[in-house]
Amino acid sequence: MPGPVPLPASRPRRQIWSVGGGKGGIGKSVLTASLGWQLARMGKRVILVDADLGGANLHTCLGLRNPDLTLGDFIRRRAERIEEVLSDTGMSGLRLVSGASDFLGAANIKHPQKVRVLNRIRSLDVDVVLMDLGAGTSFNIVDFFLASDLGVLTVVPEPTSIENGYRFIKSALYRRLRAAASSIEARRVLDSALDQKNAQGIRSPLDLLAVIEREAPEEVEVLRNEIGSFHPRFVVNQVRDEADVAIGHQLVAACARHLGVKATYAGYVHYDDAVWKAVRQRRLFMTSAPASRAAEEVRQLARGLLLGESLALRW
Amino acid sequence: MTGVAPAETHYQVLGLEPRATGEQIEKSYLFHLGLYGEEALATYSLLDADELREARARVQEAFETLRDPVRRYEYDVANGFVSAGALVVPFPTPAAPNPARPPAASVARPAALGVPPEAARVRHAPQVLPDPVDGAALRRFREERGVSLRDISLVTKVGVRYLEYIEADRHALLPAPVYLRGFLQEYARVVGLEPRRTAESYLAGVPRDS
Repeated sequence: MPGPVPLPASRPRRQIWSVGGGKGGIGKSVLTASLGWQLARMGKRVILVDADLGGANLHTCLGLRNPDLTLGDFIRRRAERIEEVLSDTGMSGLRLVSGASDFLGAANIKHPQKVRVLNRIRSLDVDVVLMDLGAGTSFNIVDFFLASDLGVLTVVPEPTSIENGYRFIKSALYRRLRAAASSIEARRVLDSALDQKNAQGIRSPLDLLAVIEREAPEEVEVLRNEIGSFHPRFVVNQVRDEADVAIGHQLVAACARHLGVKATYAGYVHYDDAVWKAVRQRRLFMTSAPASRAAEEVRQLARGLLLGESLALRW
Repeated sequence: MTGVAPAETHYQVLGLEPRATGEQIEKSYLFHLGLYGEEALATYSLLDADELREARARVQEAFETLRDPVRRYEYDVANGFVSAGALVVPFPTPAAPNPARPPAASVARPAALGVPPEAARVRHAPQVLPDPVDGAALRRFREERGVSLRDISLVTKVGVRYLEYIEADRHALLPAPVYLRGFLQEYARVVGLEPRRTAESYLAGVPRDS
């Protein structure tokens, strides 16, 4: 047998993508499952990770029974290797690390456990690891988001979802800035910024930079660069009309102007009866309704995310 | 204290380049009206009622300025979007200051979309235009600047045919002065002439009864 052939340098390295959103019930899991399915369809080797500890249901979206071993078993060291908790999905190239099926809440995962999960995920030999994050904006959730190469932020065109989307961005960004800040003064400002009613009136990263400029000017450059390299990608799910589609553009504009965050608009998926019918049947609409509008939009979304493209306003 | 960087230009407010066309300005304006609307999903949780009103007023101000060729030209000159180094006097300066007349118009490099950068960089000898200015003089000036009628039409949405009528002094085919003035101002801004002065000068040469 010939020896191992060195991979060409141009081979894209393994990517970790995560899908967050801050709010439950906005179709994150279905979106993650269908994106993973489509990437596998495009010839990528994909592992879905249900990181929604406490509310895991990615397996159901794929029509699978809850597997014997889950991410929870890996975290509690009932399984030593992450490969042990991998299960097949029936789709070639698509495997699943199922979520915890017990009461291991996201809040209970300790930092070293999180590091272990992330390290092992990084070591998996695949093209794309796609993580479904749970609802909420806790550290455990945003840490997975921040550890990703590409972070998708799902919203639906509803006030609560969009509020949570912004909250998610701020939580993730402040968490990241907290890790980058070196002085006590800067950290103190960052800690207070997380409190919505903070005395310094910090309501956005732009405000935050202004306060840091005053209190710890030597840190401004570093923090500004951290903000500049934070690029959440919006997906607007369950849109019903053109005005809903436009919300993605508005979110990008509002992030740039009022948060100083350079987000992009990765795409949208229409509300589609085919999707909920498929969910009811515990099937994936990509297979049960491949001709549906939602399925076509997921295909476009997967393609765009792979190529690093986004929707831009054409003026 | 959330809000907007203080010293934003009208172009930044609308997310546009200084070479934006009239159509782009219009579309961006409508987009921003939606962005800062009373119940807009994307902004209601970021901005309070006062900030929203302020943002709307800022968008309105930017739009009102940029959609008017005269005001836009003045804004561009004042803010350096047209190079002051390129300013020349295109109309003969009256020997004695005449209070009944507006000050001599000035001219700048074309700042419009579609103008090849090489053409914009060419140094132009100061050129004096007759007053009243006629179509032939406008045309010479435009050609010297390397701007095509199509360029002007793309930026201003004034049809090429009307621009040709202007340059051919076919007054009978031109629209009523109230519209023609707007066309002339747009034309002037794009080729780098002072819009108000140019339009007045041309209109002065149009027979009343045509």
